[in-house]
Amino acid sequence: MRFSDSQPETDLPKGVRDFLPLKAAKVEYLQQQLQQVYRAWGFRPLITPQLEYLDVLELGLGEGLQERTFRFDDRQSGRLLAFPPDMTPQIARIAATRMSELPLPLRLSYHGRVLRHTEQQAGKDRDIFQSGVELIGLDGPEADAEMIAMAIEALKAVGAKEFTVDIGQVEFFRGVMDSFPADERLAHQVADAILRKDSSELTLLLEKTVLAAAAREEILALPRLYGGREVLERAEKSVRNERSRRALDSLAQVLDVLEVYGVLEHVTVDLGELRGLNYHTGITFQGFLSGVGRTVCSGGRYNNLTAQYGFPAPATGFTFSLLHLLFALDKILDEAVVPACDLLIFSTGENLRAAQELACLLRGQGYSVARDILERSEDEALNYARQMNYRYLAVVAGEHQDIELIKLANGNREKRSWQQLQKLEL
Amino acid sequence: MSDWITFALPKGRIMQDSMELFARIGVTCPEMNEESRKLVFENPEQKFRFMAVRATDVPTYVEYGCADLGVVGKDTLLEQGKNLYEPLDLKFGYCRLVVAEPKSLQDSDNPLNWSNIRVATKYPNVTERYFAAKGVQVELIKLYGSIELAPLVGLSERIVDLVSTGGTLKANKLVEVETIAEVTSRLIVNRASLKTKHQRISKIIDGLEKVIEDEVRISQ
Repeated sequence: MRFSDSQPETDLPKGVRDFLPLKAAKVEYLQQQLQQVYRAWGFRPLITPQLEYLDVLELGLGEGLQERTFRFDDRQSGRLLAFPPDMTPQIARIAATRMSELPLPLRLSYHGRVLRHTEQQAGKDRDIFQSGVELIGLDGPEADAEMIAMAIEALKAVGAKEFTVDIGQVEFFRGVMDSFPADERLAHQVADAILRKDSSELTLLLEKTVLAAAAREEILALPRLYGGREVLERAEKSVRNERSRRALDSLAQVLDVLEVYGVLEHVTVDLGELRGLNYHTGITFQGFLSGVGRTVCSGGRYNNLTAQYGFPAPATGFTFSLLHLLFALDKILDEAVVPACDLLIFSTGENLRAAQELACLLRGQGYSVARDILERSEDEALNYARQMNYRYLAVVAGEHQDIELIKLANGNREKRSWQQLQKLEL
Repeated sequence: MSDWITFALPKGRIMQDSMELFARIGVTCPEMNEESRKLVFENPEQKFRFMAVRATDVPTYVEYGCADLGVVGKDTLLEQGKNLYEPLDLKFGYCRLVVAEPKSLQDSDNPLNWSNIRVATKYPNVTERYFAAKGVQVELIKLYGSIELAPLVGLSERIVDLVSTGGTLKANKLVEVETIAEVTSRLIVNRASLKTKHQRISKIIDGLEKVIEDEVRISQ
């Protein structure tokens, strides 16, 4: 096999991609659908910068993201700069500083691209398309439920059919672990086993640990505390500590609100879900689509973040990964997103005036219209239109002559007079 | 199709052991008993599908959601570190992941003196992590089979490999010096599947938990 034929001058770094028009249209569609939902719930867009000072950004970054940040020297200031690996810390910074005089709560939405280092593994994105919201200044079950209900509505809006939003509550786990010995390494291993729902590993770890029998039972129950609402009853029986019980209470109240919103059928509960443990402070959730291994959205409460920027406020939010959505919904989007353009206008005559006038007329009616400016045969124009996903080819012979519309899907031809074209229905 | 449950199973002995265990909770696939070269078997009444794949590919099929559940050795999970649930130790397929070296070397060797060693293995990630935790620098040589050959021909001084009875090591005049991990087959579950199909999958997990044997055993 020879590789020397490839063109090394035009390749891309791993983890980034070019999106050609058909895919780009889908990404844009996803973004618009999500933003419509955000707007309907009263969220206002915010635009964040692409560069920040590393030390400022790091105030709000969890451990996992700090080491994945792209950073470099700033020639202007001599300080270290970073491309943000996540937009939430930026929103927190803005809310805590420039918007701190405004009355709370703040309902903010954003979309944009962030960069992250990844392991050298095929197929992992370094260029991540985020779209999400932050709700700053509200605590309590109704605010948590608002985020979850919005995420569900957003998933419906992008066309997802079978999906689940899985709710966790990290305070439940913290309560269970309060009586655990102060051995950070061991606690970390325990959390990891719970994360993988690996009961046998967990049993082994706890055998090595000096622990009251009740506390041991509470921890051992965690890998199996997932499912529908009935999980709460099971959890109620398995824990005695006050902190976990409060966590269960808050979870029950969130589910009550979600019932009012009528979205409970899309909700599952998982008390062993510990993703974002060092960052979140209460309810967390993740969106899953049937048959897709990756989460398409994730969110939760983070009451300690804005304080990092000098403005303590409760906060919650979520973010969608547009590329994960794109991957999961590609087939559904084929139907929802129509290919680029309605009409291509081809002129057979020498006099191009009629063709140009027709283009103006139809654009004025809201159609997307392109002029086939090249000098070529009708067959060539037709072929071009087909390859470029046009819906119709309009053949113009000259002024005051009827226009022929060719539907590319089936090749049907029909004549329309200029009179009819004043109000065209396609 | 989404109300089906798909299993990814490694071809061979582990697949048989898995199906025997599944049969005890009524999960069966008569189609599998027919002689065929098929890779996918179905039980349309119960809506179960079984895929026969390479053991090292099982986590990949499950991670991407092509299979909801899978059975695979802990060795493979340790090596690949995928984002999966592994709720059950199925207790069969027992073996150990060990560091081994030629018997002749052992007499003069003290693991505490290892500083810069060369190791041949199918498990570069596990090996690297293991020695890094001990503060030992290693030069890794990734091989795909017949690892025991490496020390015999001087490719490496030591190997990291799976041992079940120890017969192969002995035949090649190698001895175990350290155990890295004890390995058994695990049930793994795709994260989204556990959420979106939690009723069917919980039933399988709970059922299997009751019928798994108490003692680990070697699969041969």
